[in-house]
Amino acid sequence: MLNDLLTAFQAVATVENFLIMAAGIWGGVIIGAIPGMTGTMAVTLALPFTFYMEPIPSILLLVALYKGSTYGGSVSAILIKTPGTASAACTTLDGYPLARQGKAGKALNMALYSSCTGDFISNISLIFIAAPLAMLALRIGPPEYFMLMVFALTTVAGVSGRSLLLGLVAACLGLLLATVGEDMYGSFRFDMTVEMRDGLSVAPVLIGLFAIPELLKLVVFRHAGAKTALELGDNRVTRAELRRSLKSLFKGSLIGVVMGAIPGIGPSAAAFSSYGEAQRTSKNHANFGKGEIEGIAASESANNGCCGSTMIPLLALGIPGDVITGVMLGAFMIHGLTPGPMLFEENLNEVYMLFIGMLFSSIMLFGAGKATMRFFTHISRIPPGLMAPIVLILCLFGIFAIANSMYDVIVLLAMGVFGFLMFLFAIPAAPFLIAFILGPMLEENLRRALAISRGDPSILVSSPITWLFAALAVFVVAVTIRRQLKKASA
Amino acid sequence: MKRALSLAAATLLVTCAAQAQDYPSESITLVVPYGPGGASDLAGRALTEAAGNFLDEPMTVANTPGSGGMTGARKVSTADPDGHTLLLARVGMALLPAVTNDPSVDWDEYTFLGSLEATPMILAVAEDSPYESAEELLEGIENNPGELSYAASGATAIDGFTVQTLLSDAGMDPLSAATLVPYKGGGALASALLGGHVDFLAISAASLMPHIESGDMRPLMVYSPERMEALPEVPTAEEQGYELAGQVIGWSALYGPPDLPEAVVDTWDEVLDQVADSETWLSRAEDRGSISTIGDVDMTTYAEEQYNFYRELAEKFGYLQ
Repeated sequence: MLNDLLTAFQAVATVENFLIMAAGIWGGVIIGAIPGMTGTMAVTLALPFTFYMEPIPSILLLVALYKGSTYGGSVSAILIKTPGTASAACTTLDGYPLARQGKAGKALNMALYSSCTGDFISNISLIFIAAPLAMLALRIGPPEYFMLMVFALTTVAGVSGRSLLLGLVAACLGLLLATVGEDMYGSFRFDMTVEMRDGLSVAPVLIGLFAIPELLKLVVFRHAGAKTALELGDNRVTRAELRRSLKSLFKGSLIGVVMGAIPGIGPSAAAFSSYGEAQRTSKNHANFGKGEIEGIAASESANNGCCGSTMIPLLALGIPGDVITGVMLGAFMIHGLTPGPMLFEENLNEVYMLFIGMLFSSIMLFGAGKATMRFFTHISRIPPGLMAPIVLILCLFGIFAIANSMYDVIVLLAMGVFGFLMFLFAIPAAPFLIAFILGPMLEENLRRALAISRGDPSILVSSPITWLFAALAVFVVAVTIRRQLKKASA
Repeated sequence: MKRALSLAAATLLVTCAAQAQDYPSESITLVVPYGPGGASDLAGRALTEAAGNFLDEPMTVANTPGSGGMTGARKVSTADPDGHTLLLARVGMALLPAVTNDPSVDWDEYTFLGSLEATPMILAVAEDSPYESAEELLEGIENNPGELSYAASGATAIDGFTVQTLLSDAGMDPLSAATLVPYKGGGALASALLGGHVDFLAISAASLMPHIESGDMRPLMVYSPERMEALPEVPTAEEQGYELAGQVIGWSALYGPPDLPEAVVDTWDEVLDQVADSETWLSRAEDRGSISTIGDVDMTTYAEEQYNFYRELAEKFGYLQ
């Protein structure tokens, strides 16, 4: 194996490949950082170019774009309170307060360290434990998915802010909105217009919910801070801060690796679960949501922790877990490589080249993150009064461009107004978004499980994996109730 | 006055002719009504790549997924009929209007520019399944009514009809003899079978071939007019005597908005002729496990036949009330 790896190393380490990866990472970071432009969009736009490239560089380009955009999503989450990608939603909760305290640089640095660590651990897992993780992923059937989603939903308790009740209200609204459109058996729900039959896409809901209310707040309240720029101030992550975040960082990476390896779950659910877990177990749990650096570590390590392992089902089984790996599958097929068990037998050299390239890309992500940071931190010095309209225009164009759809723009604006109303009633936005993203997976897998068992609910607790997640969910609910009771009596 | 009129008419004719010769005068958008990376997307990209060599203007793919492909179909059907917005049509464009009473785009609200390819489907079980042939599988289903489950995109999707027609051919109730478990996308469908969560499925060959080659799945039957080159031992549905199932197959075609000018249709006749023989197109089709059908069938007739076939099935199976 070592010899093969060395040969692959030689084949990958060319100036051309490095340029391609660097371009991918940089492009990814910038696209991810622009609200309304997503990693999926970056990868889709790049696909036609890969037809004219060698197979391995073309996959490396797509992987680089994916990794870059996953990190880039945290930049806008921290600086302008609008997650560039859904998986950075929890980063907003602590990143933006830090930026308001003049610690944008610190938050960005922590996000970068966590992203690179998660990314690197994920690549290592892909290289050494792809086979067992792929087998585990196949074992996850509808009942296991359902229990996993129930557990991921308990994160809502952690991100509800001051009132658990309002958090639950937000989560219920999110679940309700997730049901809009065609269900898995072909019946329509809330299809008031023809377009609504397609349901609501994540991107316009996410951007509408976070970016537009900020603008409305500026217009309605005209607060004094609107014209003054923030000081950059505190930039570095201290050693003490890094040390206390270490546990969340590694736990987040592992959550990212495992959830990334299961097809269809994706970085958002991983980041939510990791944030919830960190918030429950941290000594500083009271500080979460007010600018806790550990929260950024948890969220960002988990979402980038998915990047490498999401390739596991694709390479080992030929099964794409999400749209991005679906596009990658297309890129493989165009070059006559068929991902799946046979790939490791017939194209082992290419597989090793890909692995080595991915390891390099983790390091390059660090370089690209550091290099763009100076430029990005200046964004937080643009006064909000000027920033908000720029963000609005970017959002409108970005959302329209995703599917050339005016309907998505209307969803964006409607969600913006809705988000502002939620703000007025002090209903937190994060639980809403988490429920909205997890809702379809929760519902579909419940219905699939019940179809398989022909209506017998005991299938939901029929395997060790379901017991594990059910126990975790019960544990979290119990802890939450105890905390609430303590708070009530205090 | 008369002269002026005829002069005007003549100018109009000339400009029309000139315009027709100018096609394409700007880049052509090929709407793929499904998401990037899937079988339709790859077919669309293979077409743009191959046809690009024979057109004066570039041709690009725009993915417009939604409503089982009808969102993109509606976009093309209502577009300006200038030939610059075209549709990569799939079997769904004839199937979906057949199974609902008020389709958002009917099967014939297009100009049919030509067929592109046929994509065979495969009936498969997991490697550890006790069933060695389609007949044994059907026997198993008959002996345990409703207990065996299959994965499909939906009851009225093409990969649902593969199973339901087979059940109907075997004299069982197509809707209740086996239990449908809906999944989204070829990858998710294949993993449901690999993970042992469902008992069998019959979906597009492209999604299954890697697992058949690796030995994790066993093919029982193919839905294709001829045996597949890669699977010479596996019988076709027609050979096995399954009348309805023998007619189910996936396909791609090139559609445009209704009433496309003659010049556009002629241009595409020529371009498709050239594509049919091009190395790019043929090798891409082979990579994806599909069979090029350019020029083999009259698309207008074929689309109508397909629509009528699924319409009858929908009535027979009770999907139309």
